[in-house]
Amino acid sequence: MNPDLLAIALLAGAATWAFRALPVIWRTDRLASGGWLERFVAATGPAAIATLFVAAILPALSPELGQLLPVITGTVAVLALFVATRSVVTATLAGAVVHGVTVWLLL
Amino acid sequence: MDAHPRFRDGLVASLPIVMGYFPIAFSFGIAATQAGLTPVEAFALSLFIYAGASQFLALALITSGAPVLVAVFTLVAMNLRHVLYGPALMRAASPEAGTHLAWAWAFGLTDEVFGQALGALARGRRFSQSYMFGLGLGAYASWLSGTAVGAVAGAGALEGWPATSAALGFMLPALFLALLLSILSRRHLPVIAVAGAVTVLATLTISPTGGILLGMLAGALTGLVRR
Repeated sequence: MNPDLLAIALLAGAATWAFRALPVIWRTDRLASGGWLERFVAATGPAAIATLFVAAILPALSPELGQLLPVITGTVAVLALFVATRSVVTATLAGAVVHGVTVWLLL
Repeated sequence: MDAHPRFRDGLVASLPIVMGYFPIAFSFGIAATQAGLTPVEAFALSLFIYAGASQFLALALITSGAPVLVAVFTLVAMNLRHVLYGPALMRAASPEAGTHLAWAWAFGLTDEVFGQALGALARGRRFSQSYMFGLGLGAYASWLSGTAVGAVAGAGALEGWPATSAALGFMLPALFLALLLSILSRRHLPVIAVAGAVTVLATLTISPTGGILLGMLAGALTGLVRR
């Protein structure tokens, strides 16, 4: 194995572990109770999910109807199934299936 | 809701992530071998780094001959956003939630695992480390197996299956949308709106990574505004 590649993987992996695990181990959220930092941390979750959704859907948006239609039908399926079942798993799987079926119908 | 969510509950909750991760990891495996890495090297990147966008960036850095330290600092900067996930998750869990095994399960706190765990807490599920292990291990196993299969299969494996490929590719946007719906509340609307708008603007004017970092930061800063 290329030693440079292994060094990059191990060092970047160690940093990823530190970013993900240390704030949980140290319970840094407790340091934030009551003040501006608490409001900042509380808003981080919704902000992160909104950001990740937009970042994931943006590359799929296209002015071409043939490419946009599966995104629209998949999105509508997620919305409809979530409202009907309140289940994240069901809504996600339905969205992916409807998206794939729309692509198949348009082929 | 649940008295104490179990490992199995976490595994079940990981299902959409498992189905979303596999094709992405599969395409990473293909890209890595196309870039000249051996299947073992591709697998090592997934095993140790375990962060999708960073791994694709790592491929570009490695093949362009970037110095090790430059590559590491670039990847570290890209993963900096993960530092916010732990506090956000533990704040939603109860104050006395156990964390003595966090050194192991928190490594699996990817974007999607964090989102799914936070969504479960918002829907009334209690926090448990067993659940986090189930959720995290399902996703990690999918990521590693997808990488391995992609690296061994090589290019063109899904070429004859465009609809399947499209459905698998839509899994992650669908998951994030469902998670967003699960945490949606009047209180969070300004945060969500600002985060979304800044992500679009920064992605279009700077870069996708800049969009994620600035969108998240702008949304979290919106939370500081007293209403």
